[in-house]
Amino acid sequence: MSKENIPLTNNEDGADNFDIRDYLRLDLFPHFMCPGCGHGIAMRALLWAIHELGIDKNQLAVVSGIGCSGRISAYIDANTFHTTHGRPIAFATGLKLARPDLHVIVVTGDGDCLAIGGNHLIHACRRNLDITCVMLNNETYGMTGGQVSPTTSDDRFTTTTPTGNIEPAFDPCALAEGAGATFVGRELTLQCPSLKNLIREGISHPGFSFIEVLSDCTEIYGRKNDLGESAEMIMKQKSAYRSENYGLEPKEMFQPGTVSTGILHKGDRVEYGESLRSKGPAKT
Amino acid sequence: MKRQLEETFPSNMTEPSNVLVVGVGGQGVIMISKVLTILCQQQGLEVKQSEVHGMAKRGGSVFSHVRFGGHIYSPTIPQGEADILVALEWAEGLRWLPYLKAEGGTFLVDTQQIVPPFACRDRRINARRGYVDKNMTELIRQIPNSLALDAVSMATDAGVPKAANTVLLGALSTALHFAPEAWKKVIEDTVPAKTIAGNLLAFEAGRDTSLALDEEIPAVSHQEKTDITEDVCHYNAQLEINEAWCKSCDICVRFCPECCLRLDEQQIVELFEPDLCTGCRMCEWLCPDFAINVHLETVFET
Repeated sequence: MSKENIPLTNNEDGADNFDIRDYLRLDLFPHFMCPGCGHGIAMRALLWAIHELGIDKNQLAVVSGIGCSGRISAYIDANTFHTTHGRPIAFATGLKLARPDLHVIVVTGDGDCLAIGGNHLIHACRRNLDITCVMLNNETYGMTGGQVSPTTSDDRFTTTTPTGNIEPAFDPCALAEGAGATFVGRELTLQCPSLKNLIREGISHPGFSFIEVLSDCTEIYGRKNDLGESAEMIMKQKSAYRSENYGLEPKEMFQPGTVSTGILHKGDRVEYGESLRSKGPAKT
Repeated sequence: MKRQLEETFPSNMTEPSNVLVVGVGGQGVIMISKVLTILCQQQGLEVKQSEVHGMAKRGGSVFSHVRFGGHIYSPTIPQGEADILVALEWAEGLRWLPYLKAEGGTFLVDTQQIVPPFACRDRRINARRGYVDKNMTELIRQIPNSLALDAVSMATDAGVPKAANTVLLGALSTALHFAPEAWKKVIEDTVPAKTIAGNLLAFEAGRDTSLALDEEIPAVSHQEKTDITEDVCHYNAQLEINEAWCKSCDICVRFCPECCLRLDEQQIVELFEPDLCTGCRMCEWLCPDFAINVHLETVFET
């Protein structure tokens, strides 16, 4: 058999030459996250996307806030920035404007991004600055013991909702799209290669990309709500979400009562940094 | 009845003719035998047809015995007694080949290969499948009256991709002494109204191919598909498990499609059935702690 005829393995996914350990600060491992936490899978997808895009580690800046997701920046061997609660997008905005050559990626959680940092999110969406916001949605504040978050589903028990959650949850993707983000997508951690593709598209997109990753908090949220072990939580996510939007083009808008995955919105607006630089320095 | 029989087949029809139609579910085995049976009835012949299709669903083995002419007592054909074996699928044809008469039996076969799931048990990348790998050309040459044709593409050319069975019916019509018009009339009555034109085209295509190749027996009108002469390469998967990073969350164990992982006494993941591992990378992708790395080693075998 000639070399050209060797059948593909997972080569098309770039899995063969991707070793995640090249992108990690190995002295900090094993990481602090609980057994079965989906954040690790999301981190793999993020680093895999960076590997596929061939981004140099010196040209990569990962900014994160506070929470379980905020800790991710500490484990990535790149320029990383562990910032204050809810403000990673604000820090990233300044970083991107000062250093437009960097690939700025924000890793944030649902509480960090939608509650404390909700204001920063909508204004970043509105400005359409070229940064990628990866929001890990585990429906709770895991690090502080499992309080209710803006994305907690109806009737879920948390330490602050002992009788079940009565607040309606945000649809973060609908929020980002409504605020003007030009790239909005959602994916499960179970579909790691698809999640990698989505993040890759988001990083390549010139403009603000918002990616919601449906993660699972097994130890705190799952245990309180009797959702089973990690494997069961992941499978429940899989059965709860529609999986037809796997292409790289947006297909369907939001529909009530269903949650789709894949690229949900793609727009084309002028990028903020570009229009700012075209103005030149202020006249004094 | 006997008078009519003698008119159609003056001398050679005192013994029953046996036609065995085989294939897999959904191909139209029953349709072929139905057309043949109705045709025989219309010609005033005594005919018995027996089929097994109940368990076939789609993709399972289906066969149909048709016996006509003379006096028929048993509806089934004994082994080695079939005058004509019509196979809509290559492996099914081979399965039923012992039923064909050793001397003078006619073998009509579609070269289509429908690989059953059970032939794909080795799920490693590029693994050999368990489908029959007999050399098609060689086998067709060994049987004097045989015709292998790519009925599916012929039917697709005729506009009805599902009419591969009608192509075979056309080939079958050259082996029996009924008039082509009588065949066509039965087909018109049997197939759905909107596919009549396509089915008749397919019938003609099968008939023409068979007639054209009658002169140079044994006839093979297909592209060779089953020859496995090339070297095969596959991948041996090696799992590198970093025990210090494993937090025994059980995700890899639960999601492994081959069930070859488990947690050992220390609740650390281990590969206990290395032979089953196909290197699909599911465990690597879903390990939140990056404790598993899959390495694929290319192995060439001749």
